[in-house]
Amino acid sequence: MATEMNEMLTNGLDRAVELMVVAAHNSFRFGDRNTVKISRLTRDDQQEIAEFCYSLGDMSPLAARDGRFLMELIKEPCALLMFGDRRKSDFNFNCGACGYKTCAEMNKAEEVESLTARGPSCQFKAINLNMAAGAAASMAWRLGLYCRVFSTLGFASFALNKMENVDMAVTVSVSVAKKDPYFDRHQYWTDEHWKETFNKEFPTFTRGFIGAIEQE
Amino acid sequence: MSIERSIRQYEEDRSQAAKIAARLLLASATTSPRVGGVGECTVQIIDDECDIEDLCQATEQMSGENEKWDFFKRDAMMLRDADAILIVTSIRCLTDPADINCNVCGHLTCEYQRKVPKLEREPGIAYTGPLCLFRANNISYAIEAIISTARNMGIDYGVYWSAGAAAMRMAIVPKNTGFCLAVGISVTEKSPFRDIPKDYADINETTMNDRIIKRLWPQFRSIYS
Repeated sequence: MATEMNEMLTNGLDRAVELMVVAAHNSFRFGDRNTVKISRLTRDDQQEIAEFCYSLGDMSPLAARDGRFLMELIKEPCALLMFGDRRKSDFNFNCGACGYKTCAEMNKAEEVESLTARGPSCQFKAINLNMAAGAAASMAWRLGLYCRVFSTLGFASFALNKMENVDMAVTVSVSVAKKDPYFDRHQYWTDEHWKETFNKEFPTFTRGFIGAIEQE
Repeated sequence: MSIERSIRQYEEDRSQAAKIAARLLLASATTSPRVGGVGECTVQIIDDECDIEDLCQATEQMSGENEKWDFFKRDAMMLRDADAILIVTSIRCLTDPADINCNVCGHLTCEYQRKVPKLEREPGIAYTGPLCLFRANNISYAIEAIISTARNMGIDYGVYWSAGAAAMRMAIVPKNTGFCLAVGISVTEKSPFRDIPKDYADINETTMNDRIIKRLWPQFRSIYS
């Protein structure tokens, strides 16, 4: 019996996600440290993350936008990979990027908690983490998946404690929707709402020269 | 010393291939993801032998500044064998935090982070943090893109923060650069960035040539002539 297209798509997505994890796991990283944790979040997790992000509307319009977007995204086959790592340095590079002269000083500094991440963090830990996410995205691109790296969803995954023993997180979202769901959100805007928002954000755009009076 | 014309031709083409590859890697780094789509990174190609040597010397000089930077000498010696070096910078992380209050830097809000005094520019300090780590993370996407494309094209690569820090010290990068990494690339039959002895700063092709060929061989030839 012929295999259904949708079944092949979802099976292909599962295989692709596994290959993305392999690429991320084997990506280049400073100090040969392979401490990055990777997990695939379930559909229920994504639903929860979407609702959480949407609820942050007043505080962060960006999070709300991505929450609203994720709610739509999960209606079609998609996957969300979460990458996380600890914040303290185990490199001993003493590079200064974190604002402390030595790694030992940074590691001893008081930990600062927040919804989005724990700090202060080692710059090279963050680089290794994001390099793994980049490798996964790169593999997704090669495999022909629609893909976008989301920091907002990473922050939300961290806030909702979707991965244990990590201090910072980032997510990579992939989809096999009928058309590319990322980078084009015109469907969410009416013309009037778009013009109103644009005029509010960039009030001087239509002014001919400094001092000109805006037209009603 | 003369070499066969065909071999000389091969050497020139090999070097040319590395220069072309460097430009394609630059393209890949440029189009890699950026947080919020905001321009953050610049990529500079250093493919002149003398310029590479200048950078390697600056890297070596920095090694004495901090007891943890002994490996800078080894990095510099490896990079001397590179056909080109790509310097990737992050130009917003020092002066322009991302304004998303992510707390990765440990200062809760970007407003607080702005007020924290930066480390002084002095010997032993490579980057004058605290930087906006969220901004600087963009550099990891650029570097990953370079690696990914280099792997596809069969180009050997090595990533070094030592040479990135040296490029900042030499002031050959944009003035607001807060964080900088270097990628050496090579088109040779044996990657100069792999299988490197521990004492590579002292025992390498240059010192071996100097001691065995340039120093011992003339004496040997003279004695046994």
